[in-house]
Amino acid sequence: MQQLTAETFDQNARAALRDPVLHGALRNLADNFVGRRKNAIASVDDWEGLREKARAIKEETLLHLDEYLLKFVESAENAGAKIHWARDGKEACQIVIDLVKQSDAKMVVKAKSMAGEEIHLNEALEKAGIEPVETDLGEWIIQLAGETPSHIVVPAIHKTKEQIADIFVEKVGIEKTDNVDVLTKTTRRILRERFAEAEVGISGVNFGVAETGTILILENEGNIRLTTSLTKTHIAIMGIEKVIPKFADLDVFLKLLPRSGTGQRLTAYQSLITGTKKNADDAGPEEVHIVLMDNGRSRMLSHPVTRQSLACIRCGACLNACPVYQQVGGHAYGSVYPGPIGAVITPQLIGISKAKQLPYASSLCGACKEVCPVKIDIPELLLHLRAEITDGTAGGSPDNPERKRRFAESLAFKMYGKAWSGQFSYGLGIKAARLMQKLIVRDGKIGKASGLIAKLLPPLGAWTAWRDAPAVAPRSFREMWKDGSIAEARTK
Amino acid sequence: MVMTTAREDIIGSIRRHLATSRPFDAVHGEHRHFEVVANQALPVENVTDVRKLLDNFCASAEMLGIHIEIASDEREAAVLIESVIDRTGAKKIAVSNSQLVSEVTEIIETVEFTRNASIDFLFDSDLGITSAQWAIAETGTLVLEAENEDHRLISLVPPVHLCLLEASKIRQTLGEILELTQANLGHAMTFITGASRTSDIELTLAIGVHGPGELHIIVLNDR
Repeated sequence: MQQLTAETFDQNARAALRDPVLHGALRNLADNFVGRRKNAIASVDDWEGLREKARAIKEETLLHLDEYLLKFVESAENAGAKIHWARDGKEACQIVIDLVKQSDAKMVVKAKSMAGEEIHLNEALEKAGIEPVETDLGEWIIQLAGETPSHIVVPAIHKTKEQIADIFVEKVGIEKTDNVDVLTKTTRRILRERFAEAEVGISGVNFGVAETGTILILENEGNIRLTTSLTKTHIAIMGIEKVIPKFADLDVFLKLLPRSGTGQRLTAYQSLITGTKKNADDAGPEEVHIVLMDNGRSRMLSHPVTRQSLACIRCGACLNACPVYQQVGGHAYGSVYPGPIGAVITPQLIGISKAKQLPYASSLCGACKEVCPVKIDIPELLLHLRAEITDGTAGGSPDNPERKRRFAESLAFKMYGKAWSGQFSYGLGIKAARLMQKLIVRDGKIGKASGLIAKLLPPLGAWTAWRDAPAVAPRSFREMWKDGSIAEARTK
Repeated sequence: MVMTTAREDIIGSIRRHLATSRPFDAVHGEHRHFEVVANQALPVENVTDVRKLLDNFCASAEMLGIHIEIASDEREAAVLIESVIDRTGAKKIAVSNSQLVSEVTEIIETVEFTRNASIDFLFDSDLGITSAQWAIAETGTLVLEAENEDHRLISLVPPVHLCLLEASKIRQTLGEILELTQANLGHAMTFITGASRTSDIELTLAIGVHGPGELHIIVLNDR
């Protein structure tokens, strides 16, 4: 399958809008998750207070990220975990590959990790001759189909049951079925065989506790537990922003994350792993490795607005609530992080010049901000990134035509501002507009109908392509007031 | 050129970028505010009555489709285990090394229970029996500590998981459990809330994808 890129969001989105199968699949999202979340948050007494507290914990952590990270490392190492540092995705992949090779494994079982997706770990493993086996049902479907996830929590949300059954028929060799239970049982049977032979398991991390060195991973299926307790070596990939200060802080995040993500009070399983086993006979890996990865995160700390991005706990609530995501799905964003949070994280991770359309993939309606469990002001972030693009700080060389266009645009707005703030120039402008518009007004509106606007003033053509502007009235209120026709109209 | 380690580079980059943000932060005065809110205690529902805790736990568990039964002593618990074995037709049964599990399963003479089961045995087994060190009433959650009991595979690999729980180990909130477990935190602690589940296909709920498809809890009322 051809991989979509963030650079071509507009095109991707247009193609997605014409895909009726995709819309059928996405319809479940709004119907299901949005309602479930609403019910789940009603079971908390003070949801707002909880969000405030979660954000405060994240903010406190991020403002001292160096200290909390080093504390986490010290605690985890004391408990027997091995820590690795990766400046970027390439380094992180190499560390994982080296660890797998050290244990002589030819294949690894993988539990869903967005950080792993972010650095294209599967591709890197395959190139190194190691077979990665995804074990989360959604991730496995995606892997069989040779695609990328389109949702942070439900990777195969863009696929219908029929499409998934077809993949199983082709790749696994079962009879065609429309029974979800049969598909699930088939997954269990086949992946059990892979678990039985696996020596190395790779997972992500939801929270890393500085105080105790504990990593916590949430799930519903049990594949993360199998990955982290059945193998000899467990490798956990952890973004540096996943650290939280205290063990007790887990209380706050375990109340917020499942409710926001899947509308559950708590997911079926949480694994709290603190280093390695002390007794060789116990079940569980002999080695626990934690790969701490920066990959563009530390530079988001440089401004309070961009720093918010690092508070994200990857619940996916903003995707489910977003009217744009609901229509175009995740692949259009051309990044492993889709939806509103993807529109702000992707440009910062891969460079804003490679994802210039993403901060505009929003109507700024604010639904994302309303549902965010850690109160990230995503609209504020979108505007911040848009400003970076228009300021030219992200535009490359001064000869860039894009930059020239932005300059002309800002000049036009300056002149407009000046003219409209003086009474005389305003009146003159209106008179001129009244005369000139005769050419382009149809049925009292300025719009696409005449087609002239696009020819005369191309930048305004973009505006009227989608909506009409009202024509300037033949006489203004002030004029009518002055000559008494308002008073006349009232007495009549 | 001086070679730096990845650790030095990442910590350095964090410090450098935080320094850039300091002027903005000073203007907003955020820091103090965040510290105060981050350390504020959340309102807690204080339940200490054992009867009430048990009721709350049962209500939460039943909402999740967990089969929960109350036994007044070990004998009654043994009878309840036998009925689960009868109903599921379980032949290969793995049990953990917990004291409570031994005491109860010893009563049942007609069935063979396997301790220290191998991974091969587990993959082929029908039922896994463990106990839980704690339970959370507000969510219907079992808390199992690997340091106290070899639960990690026995509660996960067999298609049915049966868990014994002492009523006195139930607490109302997750917060209380975190406080109780932190001091002696072992290498692995597992929270279990219901059977293994997935909604990855069209958001349709399916039970028992990788872990047990059935979870039975027997609460011993006298302990």
